[in-house]
Amino acid sequence: MTPLLEVRSLIRRFGGLIATNNLSFEVATGEIHALIGPNGAGKSTAIALISGEQRPDGGTIRFNGADITALPIAARVTAGMTRSFQITSVLPDFTALENVALVFQVRAGHSFRFWRPAATDRALIDPAHAMLARMGLADRAHIPARDLAHGEQRQLELAMALATGARLLLLDEPMAGLGTTESQAMTALLANLKGHTTILLVEHDMDAVFALADRVTVLVYGQAIASGPPDEIRANPAVLEAYLGEEG
Amino acid sequence: MVNRRTVLSAAGLLLALLLPPLATALGKPDLVTLGTQIAIYAIAAASLDLLIGYTGLSSFGHAAFFGLGGYTVGILAFHAAGEPIFGLLPGATEAWIVWPLAILTAATAALAIGALSLRTEGVSFIMITLAFAEMFFFLFVSLKTYGGDDGLGFRRRSGLPGIAPRDDVAFYYICLAALAAVLFLFSRLVRSRFGQVLQGIRQNPRRMAAIGLSTYRYKLAAFTIAGAGAGLSGALHANLLRFVSPDMLHWTMSGDFMIMVVLGGAGSLVGPVIGAAAMVLLQSWLAQWTEHWMIVMGPILVLVVLFARRGILGWLR
Repeated sequence: MTPLLEVRSLIRRFGGLIATNNLSFEVATGEIHALIGPNGAGKSTAIALISGEQRPDGGTIRFNGADITALPIAARVTAGMTRSFQITSVLPDFTALENVALVFQVRAGHSFRFWRPAATDRALIDPAHAMLARMGLADRAHIPARDLAHGEQRQLELAMALATGARLLLLDEPMAGLGTTESQAMTALLANLKGHTTILLVEHDMDAVFALADRVTVLVYGQAIASGPPDEIRANPAVLEAYLGEEG
Repeated sequence: MVNRRTVLSAAGLLLALLLPPLATALGKPDLVTLGTQIAIYAIAAASLDLLIGYTGLSSFGHAAFFGLGGYTVGILAFHAAGEPIFGLLPGATEAWIVWPLAILTAATAALAIGALSLRTEGVSFIMITLAFAEMFFFLFVSLKTYGGDDGLGFRRRSGLPGIAPRDDVAFYYICLAALAAVLFLFSRLVRSRFGQVLQGIRQNPRRMAAIGLSTYRYKLAAFTIAGAGAGLSGALHANLLRFVSPDMLHWTMSGDFMIMVVLGGAGSLVGPVIGAAAMVLLQSWLAQWTEHWMIVMGPILVLVVLFARRGILGWLR
């Protein structure tokens, strides 16, 4: 079976620094694939390259069998992938509901509609309510995003990512800044997505990674040094030395 | 309980509607001209608010579109009284021809300038919009046919059927109606799907891209609409003074529009109207004492920005 995402020999340089060095890995349909590695290993750069925010200096990215290396961000979202951000990234002045409704609006096609109010547009509001309910935010729909708790904002981000209808989510540290209980709640939410939505997960929280991931790829200095099931990765001596070892 | 905001809006509207009879009663007919000036500037400021307050685009070249609207009226009036344009096209003075043309000219220029400027962001965007406006400023300075530095006067206001062109009160109500129409259209606009996208771009452009939006075309549409608004404002301004000059396109004019938006309260449409009123009234009042009225205006602006984050409007609420 063709993998949903196939990264081949990806290279990205920043001046003299090589952030992504001949990176290759595959993400199979339906799996949660974790991308781990020490700070500066090029995880966030990899996400930026796959999502289209940055262009690689070499290599190819194939999604669902098609070469998307040259596609702009919007076209990749239409093709079925979207990303979340390491730093919480919602629309702070909008309510939770407006945040998600706007994603459904963008998904519905162009927004050159100048007259009818969007706030009462059932075609946007109804699916937005449903998505918030699914993410456990039903009773927070009318709170401005800036006033939501940090954990709720991360849930809202996930709701927005899912609202794009993406088959592949690129999640850049969804647990960042979350407390223990909040992390567990987020882990449960992601576990619920397993099977429906394929996830490429960049994460520092090893408890979450080993609880969720079907496969793990370890990045060191922009290169994949190992890829396999969590148990295998945990036992891999090269990984222990390069990464797990240094964190104890 | 009646909302404080509703009371204030109703009071403002009532004052605007009753201004001419009040001015007569007070024996100060100049107030009508002042009111007209406020309504005209308010149109330009509200349209700039679409960019600054809603889309998060700090355009520093809004005067270009204001001036182009004005010169469209001025130049067509000039040719109506003299030679046809290039010996072919006759000039025009009828409002139903020259005002839409002024809007169209400004919108077209905004489309072209926006198409280039919006490839940049932040400070570069501010600088490039300023640079384009300066180009138009120097263009009109060097157009000796149309008065160059000295500007271009014309004899009568754009004609509207049934309205005497010299009737200042009638012209005041025309400008007031134009302002009301612009505010109504824009208030629909910012709540529409298009408006939601603009506000999303202001709040988090990177996020908007990540959910699959190509932000450029929406920013360009907003820039063009704002330019059209400034064009209408400029056309009315030319009519008010029966005179256009490169001053309309000067960068200080762009700065004044920005001040009106920030002073009144960006992202509210009504705020810029208040800002325009505050600016015109302060200027006319302070100018009685000193020509350096900005010495007073400057600190006021600093205080408003520091202490009333949402401008005068935010402080009134």
